[in-house]
This record gives sequence, structure tokens and C-alpha cells, in this order.
Amino acid sequence: MRPRWRKVFLDLFENKLRTALVVFSIAVGVISIGVITGAYVIIANDMSASYSANHPMNVELRTEDFGSDLVTTVQGMRGVADAEGRRIFAMRVRMPGTVQWKTLDLVAIDDFKKVNINLLRPISGSIAPAKQEILLEKKALASLNLKPGEILELQLQDGTTRQLTVVGVVQDQTTGAGDFLSPPFAYIHTDTLEYLRQPNQFNRMFVTLSENQNNDEHLRAMAARIKDKIEKTDVGVGRSRVTKTNEHPMASTVQAILGILLALGVLILFLSSSLIANTLAALLNQHLRHIGVMKLVGGRRNQIFAMYITLIVAFGVIALLIAVPLGGQGAFGLAAFIADKLNFSLMGYRIVPLALVIQIVVGMAVPLLAGLLPVLNGSRITVLHAISGDIAEETAPPLAGGKKREAVVDRVLHRVTTGLARRGYHLPRPLLISLRNTFRRKGRLLLTLFTLTMGGAIFVAVFNVRVTLFDYIAAVGNYFKADVTVSFDRPYRLSEVQRDALRYPGVTAVEGWAFANAEVLFPDGTVADNMLILAPPVDSQLVEPTGLQGRWLLPGDEKVITISESILDKLPTLKAGDMLRMKVDGKEDDWRVAGIFKFVSQQGTIAYGSYDYFSRLTNLANRSVSFRIVGQAHDPASQQILSDGLDKYFRDLGYHVSETRTGKSTLATASESLDILVTFLLIMALLTASVGAMGLTGTMGMNVLERTREIGIMRAIGAVDAEIMRTVIVEGVVIGTISWFLGALLSFPFTYMLSTIVSLAVFNSPVEVHFTWLGYLIWLGVVLVLSALASVLPARNAARLTIREVLAYE
Amino acid sequence: MDSTSRHRTSKKPTSPAAGEAAVAPLPMIDMRRIVKTFKNAAGEFTVLKGIDLQIGHGEFVSIVGKSGSGKSTLLNMITGIDHPTSGQVLVNGTDLYTSLDESGRSRWRGRNLGIVFQFFQLLPMLSLAENVMLPMDYVDLYDFDERPKRAMELLALVGLEKFAHKHPASVSTGQQQLAAIARALATNPPLLVADEPTGNLDSRSADTIIQLFDQLVAEGKTVVMVTHDPSLTERTTRNIIISDGELVSEAVACALPLLSHRQMLEVTRKAQRLTFPPGISILGRDQHVDQFYMIERGVVEIVLQGRDREDVIVTRMAAGEFFGEVELLRGGKSIAAVRAAPVGPVELLTLKRDEFKQLLDTSPLTGDALGRIVQTRLKEHRSLEPRGIRWWPFKK
Amino acid sequence: MATVEQSSAQKYSPPLIELREVVKTYTSEAGDFTALKGIDLNIQAREFLGVIGKSGAGKSTLLNMITGVDHLTAGEVTIRAGDRPVSVHALTENELALWRGRTLGVVYQSFQLLPMLTLLENILLPMDLCGMYQPRESRRRAMELLELVEIPEHAHKLPAYISGGQQQRVAIARALANDPPILVADEPTGSLDSVTADHIFDVFEHLIEVGKTIIMVTHDMGLMPRFSRHLLLADGEIAPPPAPVTPAIPAPGRARR
Repeated sequence: MRPRWRKVFLDLFENKLRTALVVFSIAVGVISIGVITGAYVIIANDMSASYSANHPMNVELRTEDFGSDLVTTVQGMRGVADAEGRRIFAMRVRMPGTVQWKTLDLVAIDDFKKVNINLLRPISGSIAPAKQEILLEKKALASLNLKPGEILELQLQDGTTRQLTVVGVVQDQTTGAGDFLSPPFAYIHTDTLEYLRQPNQFNRMFVTLSENQNNDEHLRAMAARIKDKIEKTDVGVGRSRVTKTNEHPMASTVQAILGILLALGVLILFLSSSLIANTLAALLNQHLRHIGVMKLVGGRRNQIFAMYITLIVAFGVIALLIAVPLGGQGAFGLAAFIADKLNFSLMGYRIVPLALVIQIVVGMAVPLLAGLLPVLNGSRITVLHAISGDIAEETAPPLAGGKKREAVVDRVLHRVTTGLARRGYHLPRPLLISLRNTFRRKGRLLLTLFTLTMGGAIFVAVFNVRVTLFDYIAAVGNYFKADVTVSFDRPYRLSEVQRDALRYPGVTAVEGWAFANAEVLFPDGTVADNMLILAPPVDSQLVEPTGLQGRWLLPGDEKVITISESILDKLPTLKAGDMLRMKVDGKEDDWRVAGIFKFVSQQGTIAYGSYDYFSRLTNLANRSVSFRIVGQAHDPASQQILSDGLDKYFRDLGYHVSETRTGKSTLATASESLDILVTFLLIMALLTASVGAMGLTGTMGMNVLERTREIGIMRAIGAVDAEIMRTVIVEGVVIGTISWFLGALLSFPFTYMLSTIVSLAVFNSPVEVHFTWLGYLIWLGVVLVLSALASVLPARNAARLTIREVLAYE
Repeated sequence: MDSTSRHRTSKKPTSPAAGEAAVAPLPMIDMRRIVKTFKNAAGEFTVLKGIDLQIGHGEFVSIVGKSGSGKSTLLNMITGIDHPTSGQVLVNGTDLYTSLDESGRSRWRGRNLGIVFQFFQLLPMLSLAENVMLPMDYVDLYDFDERPKRAMELLALVGLEKFAHKHPASVSTGQQQLAAIARALATNPPLLVADEPTGNLDSRSADTIIQLFDQLVAEGKTVVMVTHDPSLTERTTRNIIISDGELVSEAVACALPLLSHRQMLEVTRKAQRLTFPPGISILGRDQHVDQFYMIERGVVEIVLQGRDREDVIVTRMAAGEFFGEVELLRGGKSIAAVRAAPVGPVELLTLKRDEFKQLLDTSPLTGDALGRIVQTRLKEHRSLEPRGIRWWPFKK
Repeated sequence: MATVEQSSAQKYSPPLIELREVVKTYTSEAGDFTALKGIDLNIQAREFLGVIGKSGAGKSTLLNMITGVDHLTAGEVTIRAGDRPVSVHALTENELALWRGRTLGVVYQSFQLLPMLTLLENILLPMDLCGMYQPRESRRRAMELLELVEIPEHAHKLPAYISGGQQQRVAIARALANDPPILVADEPTGSLDSVTADHIFDVFEHLIEVGKTIIMVTHDMGLMPRFSRHLLLADGEIAPPPAPVTPAIPAPGRARR
């Protein structure tokens, strides 16, 4: 090898810590980009591919009970490829020997061998349960730890229990795909229905279409036709939902979230590149003497430039060797995690060519770009400057080469401190040293501050976003303020239920609500949306809506509703006060929209009307099947106790109780899934913060290295170890504190940006941003600890130097 | 520089005689058998080969040596910057290397000695005043509010009060060194150590620095300075020469200043040490002289016989002076008796005749100089003879 | 002076190195400092010139003017080493690097070997950078140079594994790599003990014999006799030669205490 290339080669290993720092800085960026792009590509492809591979329904209809003849009728419709009937109902279940009841949605299928829509994939055991046997969906295992052969206990409405044998575990990627808040599923044969005192009839229709399966308009038109067809046979249809075959219902949400992660990945890349720039600048600085020697013996600028660019390329190659496999693994790991959470399966580990190319480009381009300026400067250096450190002893004027003019920040700092000194206020000199040292290497300081500030801003913003999201969920909770909802099989008089319920210890309020199903129609008469209308008393205390426009319900409102904002997806021009064409309980009419309120669109469109009007409309005046009950305590545990108690209480009084649910059970699930998202964001924030901390460690290390001589002087005039360490650590903490202030400022726009993106992705609507001091406080603690830690190692090294070594450093 | 002015410098009031330094109860610096060996990949290298050195309170000492002679290492032993491979160093009564750790030495150093470096080594981020205050902060001497006042006083002492709030880069190199001295004095240490303090200064600034040192010595400080500039050694009260890791005998250095350092060391090694109790005869009159005598310690008396055959002390000679060269150069017997003065014992270094001759052969400059001295002495000797007192040697 | 002994032919041929009115002023916040105050100097081929002066006298600055490492404030430096005379300060930094690599070998007090390269590689480096020799030839040449400075057995060692004197020999060998006619040395013996320093002088004297020109800077007056010519530099000016006798030297026998 020619000597100059051999030098480049040896430089790679000259300072292993530094090489590790550079390689790690590059690798961090490359890995995060690789993981996210890889996962993005894998998920974008596999999520929908595995979804469509399971023959998902195109139209789902919730109906009144029907028999298999209706299925045959629908199967015979033009444009329908296949139709299957199921009976889906909720049941309370538990593992024998345990106390806690859980809710499962049971799906009854008449012929498991002929299932051709929403396929079940076997995981373990049988795939076709016989009478009194049950299959569990994989998600159910999270709360029910049952293996095939074990017994599941179910509770009927009168409180008696039934036992079914678990015979297998399956994965159902399609049935609940659009709603990650739904309870887990279990599957039984229709023969078992009788045993569970359920009518042997279907209440759910899954239909696949033979053409245009991915055309939203066609899907909706077909859904309306099928619905009409069914209703003509006197079977009422509650809601219908259409889904495309080739796209997982959650695909856009997931991709939006990955998009956020990608943005953060790019940010990490930026941060790591500033780290690289810093480290390379320091490397070039340390190599000044080498450059000087090479120029002295005939090296020209281009030769030097080529040598150091080659060195950087080598750093990039090493980083890629580490980052590409890790990035690939990480991408698959992330994809697998998301697949598990959203219940779809991946098509096996693979290398994503796009991600690979991006990683290579990033791994080469980022260090080259970051290193270009330092290398250009380094290769331009004059011999005199480069080796003056060594010949300084003989070049008479130590100021040769000319000092740069004082920068503004120095001047300010100098003026302030000397101004104070002139007035008799003195800062201890060691503190002054720390303060002024902070601003000595301004480029380096800026890059360090940049990484640390960005990390901090994201960290704080993630906390704010978390609060924003949970506040939003809590706001949604304001629509479900009841602690317990009791549903009966038949209507009861309000006064009767109220009287009985209020006798139960702890019950403070009872409201009976009315319900209606409605279809919102386009002006041309086609169905725009299905929705549920809830009709609480006008003065209800159990709904605290967050209005978007218009007003809430008033006493005496007739044919008036308030509607959730998701209607705007279908009717973007709708405003409060407009008339809306709706079909309520089969009757088409114009309704006034009094107001539009915010609501989680995942739950579909809902509307509120007045109880008085709707109870009359449904011939249930002063009666109701659904009662909202308020207790004294509102935490989930108390709600559960109240729920269980009321359930038994009403049954004992002879009421026909269909279901009691706690008020916030759905919200709990929603928060959980949001937590996953927030965890992801937090991991990214920590990653950026750690890149920032690494940058600070590197900076402090370089600072100490460059100031070795000064440290020796401090020692020579009486500074003890602790004093020297303090000087270094205070400098680190000053940098940390500055970055905290900047980060705190920057966190505001970041919070708005991130909240908007996330809420658009998750809730399909922007949310009101909330701030919490928690993130600022934690970050202050973290950054102070990080910066102190980042300085400790360099500080210890500094303190360990003996003066002789230091002065020999000349 | 003529001989009279040189005479004056050698008689500084603050300069204690070598004998006094030796009997002083506790020297400022006491180095015993200091050995320093450096190890590196290329092997071991012994820089200091068993140094014994005592420096008394209030001395102004220069340590001189060529590059690589070990002078900076020697200085580092005094400051506690480096540690010896073996041997003991006591500075101002503190055993630096057995009773203190690195941090302890830092604190001790801050309170007990001021260091002045060749490259000034002011901290660039602090103003001159702040630089001067820093040692007080580090060792926590003086009240916090008193420190600025003291710093200003010290800067005034070195004439820099106008520049107190300037940064080192904004003042000249000479001013930087003055500020560095002010810093070295910040904690009022009894000992000042300077490594080539004028090495990077023009001659005028250098002069200011040395004058400042003189003033400090006059105020009772001890100043030890390493230099390779011979013009500076003229101005100190004591000059220690180090060559290849060994100290040249100060007697040899004074007697034969024109030798190269290596030759001086050679003489130091070859010379025999003789000790005479007070009052004992060293050379009898007309005794055959076969050696060159250099006085290392004590006082000798040159004695002639007066007309009544009584002993007449013609002159006294102290450390650094020599006798016997006339006889060796001219041949013959001693022309006067020499004896140890009654005040104390005398230590002499002697060089045999052939070694002396050989020395003159290798250093013609020394030969010339000695020849001139012999002539002067003989002439003055003869001029005294008519008065009946034959006395020799002649003391200038 | 030794120059007197030079043949008249050499004396009247144009000098190898010619400095005309060279002034160098450093500007700093503390004010201007003139390190060289108009130096006129001719150096003939095959001279062994010693530039002697105290620290701060400007001798290294003078050397930097000749090597083109530093820019001059006024004056001109001409070197007639190649086919045509080169005005050093008219070259760009890049041209200068190549020209210097081929024309001047530079040796510093602190050796300045690249620590990660073996001795052989250190010597190969200038040949590699200037492209004067084929790779195989440069290896042979590097070995020859190591033999010239008498340490071929250490060819594959790293600089840290040999003594200071040996490092300085390698530095000299490296300075000779591209066979430059001129060798410039800044305190080359400054970090060496006296015996080792003697060996370095032996190498220099040998080089003069084979036709090189050497300019060496030192503060050590004692080295004066070893140069073929010397000049004293003080406060940026060439001092007049000292009187031949030695009245300035202190007479012996004086008690200094």
C-alpha cells in the first residue's frame, strides 16, 4: 500500500474511541432511517396483502335475526360474489376458578368448512369447533390464558354459567380489522347457540362482491342495494359498513404514524450528521500537524483532500456494515410488532431493496456532506499554521497568525463580567472559566446545541402530545359519563327503574336514553352514512360535548339533531343550522342540524337528539331499554364493582337484563392503543436525546483534549482534581441548560406539529393542543443529568492528567 | 562588563555565603539523591542521575544546562509537577513525594510556590486580573472580596494596573509574562520557580522581568530560574549547572567558567574532595604543588611570614576561588602557605597535575585565561616583594 | 571565516539562495512586531550555513521565509535550484507544496514523523506525494536513505520505538527523499543529548560532501565551529561578526558568591 493510503488506513484505528463515535453517529442515523423505511415498505405491502389474502368482506350488515334462506337470496344478487351469515353477540366469560369477567364477542358460524369470507387461520388446535366447543381468536389470549382442551366459563343473562371447551386458537385478520377498540372474538358452531340461550339465527351478514371490490362508490351502492333487499324481507338493518378488499382498513392510519416516525428518523439523521461534523472537525484539528508535515514534504491540497475524504468514506463503509443488517432486522422487528398489534401477518423476513438503497445513500452522503467543510478547511491549512504548535518555541511572536476578532457573544460575556467586576461584583474565577469556555468553540457549540435542543424539543413535545391525546380521549369520555350502562331485553318505565336503581347503595343518578338508527342521505337519495342517534334527556348531565359549531340540544327540539364531525368527511359543506336529509326508522325526512361536535371518528358517525322526541318517535315514551347510571366513584374498579352489583340486583328484582357495561371500558382500550403510539414517539425522543447526549460527550471530550495545556496550568497554580472536574462539568451543564431553554421554546411549534399530524392520523381530526409542565420538568432533569454525565468522563480524564504530560503536550 | 562591576554583583547584600547556606537550619529546597528515569518504547533513559541540591531561603538561583541536560526535569522535581524515580525532595519543609498525592501537591503548590512558565501560560479566557485571582480561588486564600484588591495591587507591582481588565491576547508578550509573575505571587508564596522566563521575550522585556526578580529576592523571596541564556546567570546570586543529568560542582563552574558544560562535569567527576578542619594547614610554604585546588566550601587563608617571622594573613579566599595554578603552569614550589581559616572546615576539590594539563589542552580558551591571570598575579606579587612581604596568591 | 576558502568560481556564480530586503512583520492586538528587519543574504551551493541567535531573534522566521512556509511582508527570496530561478513568494500554496517537496528538505527540532507510519513509510511519503519515483524505485531509495543515516535495521519500526536521535536521522532521511539540493534544519539537535547531536552533525557533514547545501538554525553558540559559515541573528537583524578575541568572556577565578 502506498504510504499515504496506509496512513488513511491506520488513521481509522488510531483513536478507537473516536472512530467508534463517528461510526456510531453515522450508524444511528442509518439504522433509524433503515428501520423506518424498511418497516414502512414491509407494512405498506404486507398489511393489505395479508388482509386481502383472507377474503375480507366488502359489505358488513348488522341486522335483526334472519335465517340461511336470506343468505341464499343475497348470494343470488347480481354483483355479489358470496354472502355468509353469522350470529355475533357479546358474552361475559372467564377462566374457571377466576373471579374477573371479561367480554368476548362470540361469532357463531354454521359451517366452518365452508367459510369463504373473513377466513380464520389456524394457529393451534382445531379449526372447526363442534357443539359446546369454542375457538379463541389470538387476541383473546392476552386476557384469557387458555390452551386447547381447557374450559371457558360463560355467563348467561340470568347469571347462570355455561362451559365450553376450547379446541383451538385461530387468527382472524379481517372481522374486527377496522376497529382496534373492539373486544376480542371467539367462534362457536351454531349448534352451540341453543346451549347459550341464543336463537339459532344470524344477525350479521358478510358479503363479498364480484367486481369493483376496491371502488368506494360501487361498494356503497351495492351496500344500499343489499340493505334494501334485506329490509324488503322485513329484516331490519342496523348499520352497514363497506371495506375495500385490497386495503387494510387501518392502512392509512398506520402509514400516517410511520410517516411521523420517518420524519423523526430524518431528524435523527440531521442530528447525527451534526455530531459527525463535530467529530470530524476535531479529528482534522488533531491532524493539523500531520497535514502540515505532509504539505511540508510536498503534499498538495488535492492529495490531502482525497486522503481525508477517503477516510470519511471508510467511516461510512464501516458504519454501513453495522447499520445495514441492524436496520434490516429492526425494520422487520418493528413491522412484526405493528403486525401483532393490528392482527395481521407478515410475509416473512426479507431485505427491502428500497430501504437498502436509502441506507447506503444516507450512510455515504451524510458523513461526506458533514465532513466536507472540515476537510476542505483542513486541506487548505497552511504549513505554518499547521505546525506552528510545534515550532512556536522559535517563532518569536506567539500571536503570529493573528487572533480573530472577538465574537459578539464573547464581547457581551466579557463586558458583563468585567462590568460587574468594576462595580465590585465578582463571579468566582473557576465559574468564569466554565462560562467563557462554553463559548470558545462556537461552531462546535452550535452543533452540540442543535442536537441537544432538537432532542429536548421532541422529548418535551412528545409529552405534550401524550397529554393532548389523552385529554382528547378524556373529552370523548365526556360523552360517556355514566359509570354503568344497563341494557334490558325489553323496555321498562323510567320512573320504575329510577326508583329501583336509586335504592341501590351508591347510585346517585339514573337516566333512560332512547336510540334510533338513521341513514344520512346524499341529495340524490343514496346513503352517505349510517349513524346511531342517541337521545338522552335534554338536560342530561351525562354528556358534555365539545362543540365545533352551532349549539347543543334544547328542550322542545323536534326533528333536530347534533351530529359528530366525521359527517364532514361525507358532507364537507354541512354547517350548523343546515337541513339534512335522513331516513330514521325507515322514514325519510329533512332534519335540522343544530350543531356539530367533536368525536372520535373511529366510532363512526353519531348524533344526539332529545329523549322526549325520540321516545315518542319510537313509541317508547317514558320508557327505555337502556339506562345510564351514575355512582359515587368513577374509577374503573369502582365502576366494575357497581356494574357487577347492579347486574345481580336488577336480575334479582326480576328485570330482564341484557347487558351491564362500565362506562369507560371502551376508553380504557383506546388509551392503551394510544399508549403504544406514544411509546414509539418516546423511544424516538429518547433516541434523539441520546444522540444529543453523545454529541455533548464528544464535544466535552474534544474541548478537554484541546484545553489539556490550560488544565495543566490550573493544576500548576493550585487546582485540585475536584476543582478541575467541576470546571468541566459546569461547562457541560451550562450547555445543557442553554439547550433546555432553546428546547423548551422549540417544543411549542413541535407540539403543534406533532399533535396535528398524530391526531389527524388517529382521529381523523385535529385536536386542541394541551401542554404539560411534566415534559419540561423531566427534560430539565434528564438534560442536567445527561450533560453532567457527558462531562464526567472527559472531566475525569482531564483531572487524571499530570502537569508534566500536559506541558509536554506543547 | 569590566571586573569591578562584576565584583559588585557578586557582593549582593542578600546573597548568603555558601557556608551560611549550609548551616542554615532548614533550606528552602532540599533534594536528596534524586534519580529520574523515563521509560518509553525505545528503552529507558535516566535524565537525573542522583542529584543532591540545597537552596537556602532568599537565594536567587539560576539553573543552567543545554537542551536535554535535565534542567526542566530538575525544576519539575522542585515544583512537584513530576515525581522522582527515587530520592527525596523537601521544599519549605514539606516532603513532596511521600506525604502528598497529586491533588495534595496541587493545593500545596498553590500556597507555597509560584510558577512562571516560558510561554506565560495565562488562561486566555480570563482577564489579567482574573488570572491573578484564580490561584487565590483555587487554594481559598484571602477573603473573596479581598481578592480583587490584592490582584490589583499585584498588577500594580508589575506595572500592569492599566491592563487589568484586558485579556492576555490583547497585551504584549512581555506584559503577559509580567502578569504571569503577578499570578505566581497571588498567594504570596515564599518560593518562585521560573522555567526560561525570558526565553520568549525581547531583551528589554527580559530585563524588566529580571529586575522584578531582583526586587522580589530583596523582599525575601527565594527565586529559582531555569535558563540557557548565559547573560541571565550573571544576575543571579548562585548558578547551578546541570549537564547530562548531573550537577556540575559550583566550585568548578566558578573556577573554570570557560569550559564547556561537559568538560566541567568531567572535572567534577575526576576531582578529589579534600576536607580540612579549621586552622589546619593545606599547603606549606615551598611545598611541591602537584594539584589544582578549587574551594568548594569554607574560607582559606593565604599566609606569608613577616619580617619577624610572624604569620601574616595576606588574603582570604572563599568558595569559587582557586589556587595552585601558578605553580602548575610555571612549575615550582608553593610561594605561600595556605591553611583553613579558623571559622570553619574547608572543602576543596583538587585536580591532579596531568589532568589539569590535559584540561588546558582541550580548552585553549581556559589556558589563555589562566595564563593571563598567572601573569597578573605574579606581577602584583612582585610589586609587593620590596615591602618585605612575599605574598601570594593575589586576590583581586 | 570559512567563506574565504571558497573558490572564486563559486563565489561569483549567482547564489543558490538569495534574500533581498526581507521584512516580516507580525500584526497582533498588542501591536506590530517586526521579526525580520530587512535581511540580505546570499547562500552558495554546498555551504553549511549556521544561523545562530537567541530565542526570539527571528531565526526560525528567516527559515520560514526560505521554505515559503510563511509569507513575507516585503522583499524577495529567490532560489536557483531547478532549471530556472524560483521566486518563492510568487508561488501559490499548492505550487509551493510541490516545489518544496522537490527542492527543499526540512528538518525540525521535534522530528515531525507521522507516528502511525513505519520509518520506511515515513521516508516513502514525500516520494508518494510528489510522484518523483516509481513505487519500486522509491522503496529501494528509501532503504538507501536509511542506510545513509545508518539505521536500516529499524526500517519497519514505528517512530515511537526508536530513540530521539534515531528519529531525527529518519527525519533527515525523509527530508532527502526527493533528492532535494537544499536541506533546511530548525534546531535539529535541540532535543538531543550532546553525543547524539554529534552524530547528526556527522550526517550533515557527509551530506555537504555529496553536494547538498544545508541551512541550520540554532541558539547554541557552541556549535559555531561546525558550520562552514555562520551568521548571528539578533532582534531581526544580521549582527556584525564578533571581534576575534574574547574580552567579552568572563575571566576565570572570580568568586561569584
